[in-house]
Amino acid sequence: MIVRLIAPEMRSTPLRLTGMLILIFTFSSLVTFGIAYLFLRNTIDTVLEEQLNQSVVSYTSIKDANDLEERLIADAKSVDPSVMIFTFEPTAGPTISNVTSFPLIAGLTIVRDADIVPAHRELSDSYLAIPAQVAGGRLIVAQTRGQIIEMGEVFAAVFLIGLLPTLLIASTVGLLAARRARDRVEAIRTTLLDLTHGTLTSRVPNVADVPDDLEQIGLAVNRMATAQAKTVASLKQVSDDIAHDLKTPIQRVAIQLGRLQNRKNLDAEQAEIVENAVIETEGIVRTFQSLLQIAQIESGRVKERFVPVDVRQLSENLVEAFTPIAEESDHVITFASDQNDAMFVQGDRQLLSQVLVNLLENGLRHVPSGGAIIVQLSQSNDHIELAVSDDGPGVPTAEREKVLRRLYRLERSRTSEGNGLGLSLVAAICELHDAKLTLADAMPGLIVRIVFPIKS
Amino acid sequence: MKILVVEDDKTAGPYIAGGLREEGHSVDFLTHGQEGLVQAMAGSYDILIVDRMLPGIDGVSLVKTLRGAKNRVPILFLTALGGVDDRIEGLDAGADDYLVKPFVFGELRARIAALCRRPQLAEAPTSLRAHDLELDRLSRKVTRSGKTIDLLPREFALLEHLLRRKGRVQTRTMLLESVWDIHFDPLTNIVETHISRLRGKVDKDHNVQLIETVRGAGYRIIEE
Repeated sequence: MIVRLIAPEMRSTPLRLTGMLILIFTFSSLVTFGIAYLFLRNTIDTVLEEQLNQSVVSYTSIKDANDLEERLIADAKSVDPSVMIFTFEPTAGPTISNVTSFPLIAGLTIVRDADIVPAHRELSDSYLAIPAQVAGGRLIVAQTRGQIIEMGEVFAAVFLIGLLPTLLIASTVGLLAARRARDRVEAIRTTLLDLTHGTLTSRVPNVADVPDDLEQIGLAVNRMATAQAKTVASLKQVSDDIAHDLKTPIQRVAIQLGRLQNRKNLDAEQAEIVENAVIETEGIVRTFQSLLQIAQIESGRVKERFVPVDVRQLSENLVEAFTPIAEESDHVITFASDQNDAMFVQGDRQLLSQVLVNLLENGLRHVPSGGAIIVQLSQSNDHIELAVSDDGPGVPTAEREKVLRRLYRLERSRTSEGNGLGLSLVAAICELHDAKLTLADAMPGLIVRIVFPIKS
Repeated sequence: MKILVVEDDKTAGPYIAGGLREEGHSVDFLTHGQEGLVQAMAGSYDILIVDRMLPGIDGVSLVKTLRGAKNRVPILFLTALGGVDDRIEGLDAGADDYLVKPFVFGELRARIAALCRRPQLAEAPTSLRAHDLELDRLSRKVTRSGKTIDLLPREFALLEHLLRRKGRVQTRTMLLESVWDIHFDPLTNIVETHISRLRGKVDKDHNVQLIETVRGAGYRIIEE
């Protein structure tokens, strides 16, 4: 029973330790118990044997056959066969005994009551019997083993009344305590997982500042989480400050340029310079927008505004919007879906559009002229998959993982063309939508798969 | 036009106000949310330009309060760079349009023009005309000089959008939002490409070029 309780919970250290402790306790109790029983039994056996020998001696010391016979006849009447049995078979004449028949034995033997035919009085369950040659015949003396049986019964009683309940109580209390410990360890584990996944508000519940290791670990985790939240908040504050400091000048430059562009008295060269400056400013704004957007998406606040979005219609519209663009750069974009019905994903329409736009733009930028880009949608019971594949140069396996890694993003954004934030933004948006994003080899080319879970 | 600008940025605000004054508008400029609300309630403005972040009452609350008081003045909501959900928040509060900072002045000008003429749009006729071009919104047929032009659904939507706002500049962003429902800035020139396709079908081999590019601003259908 105990083993069965532990088996499915083997992963929990407190439960496993308690289980082991109960097993060790049970085993050692049984061993001690057994040793005590055997030792006591041995002692009683020795005493019994001595008593038996003494009885034999009391008969063998009578040298005269007639005296012995008289004594035996007297004893046969007086001795209780449940305590002691004796049987004398004279060389001639009838057997003298306090039982009707006793089996023949060769040496010191344990005889069960079933093998003895009683005279008229009750017998013990078991006897220790010894044969002896006396004057004029063969004598068997048997002493009851009642003491040993009683001792066994006492041991059984002690075990049943004393040890078994103790064992049961210890197991129950132990397992309950272990479960509590398991639950608290589990609470710490889930909190740590939540913290790792960015839920910085997660804390180990109900921790008290008491001198208990688990409580102290819980407290330490909570303190760490608070510190982490503070660090993130101050980092965010710093980036917000920087963003705010830069936002305003960018806006001013844009407005100034706009005013300049609006002047009617500019000559062709001046107008061109302003135009170029405006285009450059737009580039700065776009990069800035992506950076700020990733930060805001990662904060997860947008999630509150999620609505069902038909990704099928969304994809079809965007593919249609990009078709003439693809034709101009000699690419072919095709759209395929395994069904014609709407496919709803819980999310933000604009962000989901941005995912596909970024993937399409990536494809158009990296796939050489004449290449193809395929947008595919498929739905199963528990997920919707959006796959964008191309027959371009692809991304090397080693690079593939790095592209999606968080810290790689900034490094990449400095080295790659464009603002390099496209895929990072895609990754951030996918994470916000609990979607699994994978980059794989389309042989040839790249296939980007996004699997959205369907929540019922 | 009488315009109220409520913007807390003490440098950007005057630029917007100054730029609008240069355009010949009468502009009141305030930096505080509460003052802005009081002024908006008291004065009769043709349009309100309200920033999202304001001291006192923030932009969203200001718009909500105005709308709660049955004030129907057109409101253009300014949202900060990187604000993903500010846009929805502003429109939900009751703003008529929004603009992400920073914007080029042409964008602001075009949005203001669009907002002030907005009520007229409701009574758009089934048949839209410009010069010898005719677009039937019910049969979805387009003809120029009597010759039928085959348009893709999105090209039709684009042409319809421009025709309904004949003579008024539509910026790239405005077209992206209205025709493609794209409320972010893609790297690709979606609008330019589709405009050029549309031109190829509508204006090619005609003396009068109906679709005009307004430099630094956007596109429009010319007025006869």
